[in-house]
Amino acid sequence: MKSFTYTITDPVGIHARPAGILVKAVKPFQSTCKITKGAKTVDLRKLMALMGMGVKCGDTVEVTIEGPDEDTAAATIEKFFKDNL
Amino acid sequence: MDYRKCAQEIYDLVGKRENLVSAAHCATRLRLVTADNSKVDIKKLEDVDGVKGVFSSNGQLQIILGTGTVNKVYDEFLSISGMTAATKADVKAAAAAKQPLPFRMVKALGDVFVPILPAIVAAGLIMGLLEGMTKIWPDMATSGTYQIFHLFSNAAFVFLPILVAVSAARVFGGNIFLGAVIGMIMVHTDLVNAWSVAGMMEAGQAIPQADVWFGLYKINLTGYQGHVIPVIIAVWFMSFLEKRLHKIVPEMIDLFVTPLVTVLVTGYLTLTIFGPVFAQLEEWVLVGVQWIITIPFGIGAAIAGAIYPLTVVCGIHHMYNTVEIGMISNTGLNTWMPIASSANFAQGAACFAVALKTKDKKFKSLALPSSFSAFLGITEPAIFGVNLRLMKPLISGMIGGAVGAAVGSMLGIGATAYGVTGLFGFLITTKFIWQYAIMLAVSFAISFTISWFLHKDKPKDEEVAAADEAPALPEITCEKGKVYAPIKGNVIPSANIPDDTFAAGVLGEGVGIEPVLGVVYAPFDGEISSTTDTKHAIGISSPDGMELLIHVGVNTVAMEGDGFELFCAEGDTVKAGQKLMTFDIDKIKAAGYSTTTAVLVTNSDDYAGLDIKEGACEPLDCVISIKE
Repeated sequence: MKSFTYTITDPVGIHARPAGILVKAVKPFQSTCKITKGAKTVDLRKLMALMGMGVKCGDTVEVTIEGPDEDTAAATIEKFFKDNL
Repeated sequence: MDYRKCAQEIYDLVGKRENLVSAAHCATRLRLVTADNSKVDIKKLEDVDGVKGVFSSNGQLQIILGTGTVNKVYDEFLSISGMTAATKADVKAAAAAKQPLPFRMVKALGDVFVPILPAIVAAGLIMGLLEGMTKIWPDMATSGTYQIFHLFSNAAFVFLPILVAVSAARVFGGNIFLGAVIGMIMVHTDLVNAWSVAGMMEAGQAIPQADVWFGLYKINLTGYQGHVIPVIIAVWFMSFLEKRLHKIVPEMIDLFVTPLVTVLVTGYLTLTIFGPVFAQLEEWVLVGVQWIITIPFGIGAAIAGAIYPLTVVCGIHHMYNTVEIGMISNTGLNTWMPIASSANFAQGAACFAVALKTKDKKFKSLALPSSFSAFLGITEPAIFGVNLRLMKPLISGMIGGAVGAAVGSMLGIGATAYGVTGLFGFLITTKFIWQYAIMLAVSFAISFTISWFLHKDKPKDEEVAAADEAPALPEITCEKGKVYAPIKGNVIPSANIPDDTFAAGVLGEGVGIEPVLGVVYAPFDGEISSTTDTKHAIGISSPDGMELLIHVGVNTVAMEGDGFELFCAEGDTVKAGQKLMTFDIDKIKAAGYSTTTAVLVTNSDDYAGLDIKEGACEPLDCVISIKE
């Protein structure tokens, strides 16, 4: 299992558009990807659930990736967060 | 998957090259414009391996292939069909081109005129007031202030070709500054002012001429002040030529070759062919009109009264001064003036009816002053700004004008001067005060009544009723795999939502709704799966697993909830038609964002495709159905 934490810097947080792009970025991987904010954990593949978390600027989230391609997936997703969020 | 095979099958099923107008693709779809959509076998297209869905809208055939696939199929498609790559804009233009020609021409005229309306409304009102006042106080015409105001009043009309040319260049995709140059050529101060031509001919003065095309023939060196149609034709040609040249001239020399050739060729053709041909047509219309008004019993006057506004559209009406001058010198009585006056007044009345009836505040604020200007005799703002665009008021005005002109002719009204019509016309028809009043009243009453009954606001023009007053919706039984309109408005394919992310289908396929009422209802029985603190988006899932995102407006996340109110919370179970959210359309527009609301099936990848129903929708009309 791989994981990283990230503090959101995008002023509007993970709203519809970035959420959509994030889900698209995660989809190709076989690994299970989850995002946790506080006590709530959701599947990164589920757009609605992700948007429902209401991740805002300044929030710290933890992303966990577990599965056969977790190394590449973790690298790609972490880069996505740094570049876009 | 075999892209070549997929492309070949699509190519065969859409009717091969002879049925194809253009081809483009977006992130997920192959977008084709066909000459005849009925030749396309949509059923079989859907069965082609790789095709996830097919629908046709606005003359476009859209074949959903999916991200990563569509571009490869597209490349094969081009190589099979021998077509060149088209952009999305080209495809849209080709689709628009399928509308009938007269419809497109009126639309182009409207598109050209709408942006310059403020200029001619201002000029029209100043001119009408000023002309009237000088008839009441003739001394005023000699004052310096009057002369300055007079300058303001006719500047927009004298240089109208420049305004029209700039606007037309924008509409036709040419360079607006080159367009301005063409307009300036047409009203150049070295040419005889078009308004002076009639007077010069009357006085027996010669109009300067120039021989053109190596002495083949001569043209009159007259300007095109007040003209519209020849300018639009010239600029349309200019834009066409300029765009062509940009394509064929090597980039290194493009910057000086293209503008040079464009101006030289367009300018020469305009002054030697477009202009003179049009001037000749005007001449014939004038002769024709003079013949028509000799038909007795008010019939001739009625015909002239009906066609008068059409001659205003063409910009020929200033030539009527010649007719009027002739009448006054022959009989001392100008019987043309009542016809023109009646026609102008009727156009004003038709516009006035629209102004009173429309609930669209912006349109009302345009129509009202335009109608006043028409009552003072300057009809351009009313005709171009309102009546011609809606068509029905123009026709109402033509009927009213015809009847009024017939009445005026039978009452024997004649004016003793020329130059003013409408309300100020009383000042030059002092011998016929009552008759003139009756004539104006008749044309007003008929035109106003017809226009009032014919006018209906388009759905999008309807004033947005307060969200609280939204009527309760009837209960409906939801069918599986269907999405019912959450908002009253106009449905467009999601690919046309003015935002790349939504249009590309990143968040799923679906529709956009251009809202007319700021209320969001539940689109099916389901559970609210997400809401946001900014209140502008709602996620909802159905019991059979469909996930839907309703995202109100584009970039509205930046409004941070201002203007939005939520009536549901995450985890709520809702029934179709239940009010979920209200939003303030005006606030979104004021903040500068599009109000187009994305209604997207976020898990559309799980389905074979979506059928959507475009066009105006009431809440709970079925707008999306999942293909089985």
